[in-house]
Amino acid sequence: MKLLLVEDNEKVANFVLKGLAEAGHTVDHADNGRDGMFLAAGEPYDAIILDRMLPGGVEGLAIVDALRKTGNRTPILIVSALGDVDERIRGLRAGGDDYLVKPFAFGELLARLDALLRRAQPGTIQTTLALDDLRMDLLSRKVTRGGKQLDLQPREFKLLEYLLRHANQVVTRTMLLENVWDFHFDPQTNVIDVHVSKLRQKIDGGQVKPLLRTVRNAGYMLRSDD
Amino acid sequence: MINPLRFSAAGVALAYGIISLLVLALFAAPLWYSWSTAIDGGRVERLDGDAARLSAVARAHGIPALVAVIDASVDGTEHTISRVLLLADAAGRPLAGNLAAWPDIAPARGPQLHTLNVHGRAIRVAYVSSALPDGYRLLVGNNVERFEKLERIFQYGLLGCSITLLVISVAGGLLMRHALLSRIGRIEQTTSAIVQGNLSSRLPTPLGNDELDALTRTVNRMLEQIEQLVQGVREVSNAIAHDLRTPLAALRYRLEEVVLTQPPLERTYAEIDAAILDVDEVLAIFNALLRLAEIDSGARRAGFTAIDVADVAAEVVEYYLPLAELKGITLDYAGPARLPAQGDRLMVAQAVGNLIDNALKYATGRGTINVSTAMHGAGVAISVADNGPGIPEDQLDKVVQRFYRVDPSRVMPGAGLGLSQVEAVARLHGGTLKLASNHPGLRATLFLHTVPEER
Repeated sequence: MKLLLVEDNEKVANFVLKGLAEAGHTVDHADNGRDGMFLAAGEPYDAIILDRMLPGGVEGLAIVDALRKTGNRTPILIVSALGDVDERIRGLRAGGDDYLVKPFAFGELLARLDALLRRAQPGTIQTTLALDDLRMDLLSRKVTRGGKQLDLQPREFKLLEYLLRHANQVVTRTMLLENVWDFHFDPQTNVIDVHVSKLRQKIDGGQVKPLLRTVRNAGYMLRSDD
Repeated sequence: MINPLRFSAAGVALAYGIISLLVLALFAAPLWYSWSTAIDGGRVERLDGDAARLSAVARAHGIPALVAVIDASVDGTEHTISRVLLLADAAGRPLAGNLAAWPDIAPARGPQLHTLNVHGRAIRVAYVSSALPDGYRLLVGNNVERFEKLERIFQYGLLGCSITLLVISVAGGLLMRHALLSRIGRIEQTTSAIVQGNLSSRLPTPLGNDELDALTRTVNRMLEQIEQLVQGVREVSNAIAHDLRTPLAALRYRLEEVVLTQPPLERTYAEIDAAILDVDEVLAIFNALLRLAEIDSGARRAGFTAIDVADVAAEVVEYYLPLAELKGITLDYAGPARLPAQGDRLMVAQAVGNLIDNALKYATGRGTINVSTAMHGAGVAISVADNGPGIPEDQLDKVVQRFYRVDPSRVMPGAGLGLSQVEAVARLHGGTLKLASNHPGLRATLFLHTVPEER
């Protein structure tokens, strides 16, 4: 995928550039707002990673605003040290697709970026989600593994639905917290792990082929081996 | 409404004097007018009456009879001349009366007021003249010096009144100014002391109930708040120093050790992973502090929406349930189906989460945690009760302080900001956090006002 990184801090930029290159992306880099705006408007990108406070006279949100006003729908992941709830809301209202607060773990950035890239592909309305022999019927709200029905709590259903929609992608704990529970804060103790392990028992318990994996230093991934 | 205290003290005194004079003038003017018209009217009536009676004598009995009447009236022996009479013929020669000659003045309607020479004395006379048959003319007058004296006395009285009023109002204004200035001076002295750094100074407690007293009390309340905040900041900086230094020191030792011992690659990576966890711990403390500042600023109140507290609490309980099960602790929730309130869902969820988190953290063995919500007066109450070790009664107040931990060795995980956060959320919602003993255990109750604007 072709990405644009607009980030003025050299260390952060190098760290992100290296990581994204390793993940197989082609990345252009602008270290100020003006160049960032120029590149974002002129080149077709699959996604843009954008800092908010930028030198060069053009602020991050101004770039988002300008792109959206010209009908450019490229997914934008805003990365900023401004972490207040109000600031996040401002970033998303301006037209950003996701908001990540600095400092962040690279795994978190990559996972959110993947989710954005996936979201950008126009999808048809699905009534069933499936991975390997795990099937979820969104209408009857039934989940089966190998034809055997699983008994899930409503929240476990939502959790599995999110994981299935992002199958073969890393999903971080924060993403689950925000999207499954709608909790946009860090609870003191991370209970997500316990929820996921309960869910894992239900879908992978007694199965030869586990589907729900833990990704070290990042989060979780639902995937089949092949 | 114009607040009189907004003027300076000198301005108040001046305005007071001017207003008093204005009031006096407005009061005296109609009095003066009615007094003078009454006197003038009476005078004209009397003079006209006299003139008519004397004319009647002349018409009925002839001029000689009138001369006799006039001569009898003004025999020149009276000590004070009160009446002035003059009968003159067509040529203006005086025939009778106490006036030497017909006054040389243009005839006019109404009473004339002139200084006339009567028996060699100049006196102020008000008179009317009337024409008699055959060209005879009659002048009837009155000595008005008596009235003029009275008039002057009235004027002097008015002047005296004005001066007295002016003196009183100026003196009163000055006294008022002095009183105001001395009270303001006291306020200024105290505030200067505070500026110098003596934050515990307070304005003298007022006994009265006027605007300045109300202001004094408000200022005192403000000082109280400032002192608390400054105290809080001081405590927080000390606590940050302690709580951040610990993980930072651990991180430093870890990294230093890796450099010094140069362990095999495998171990090095493990150490780096551990170092990242150390940094995350530091970041978590930072985030908690920033979050606290965000709540404290009160700016979040703009984001208040209609929320269902019962729903929020149930959601948070559900979130923690698997963890409780894992620890063998019973966590249950009881409350009404709906509990509508105005608030910030995330803040309330985080507050309830912190309370449950704490209860889980300190629970031992087969504990139970009961979460419940209920209507409470004009708001709602969310309570989290456990049967864990609880908090000693004498420390119940202190635990809300930032970074305070009952556990003196600070071995339990967590930054000690949890309860402060809950307290800040309560304050944001115009409510309070109450901690009490649950015999045994701790019962934390979060009161939220549904309409925080009415605080």
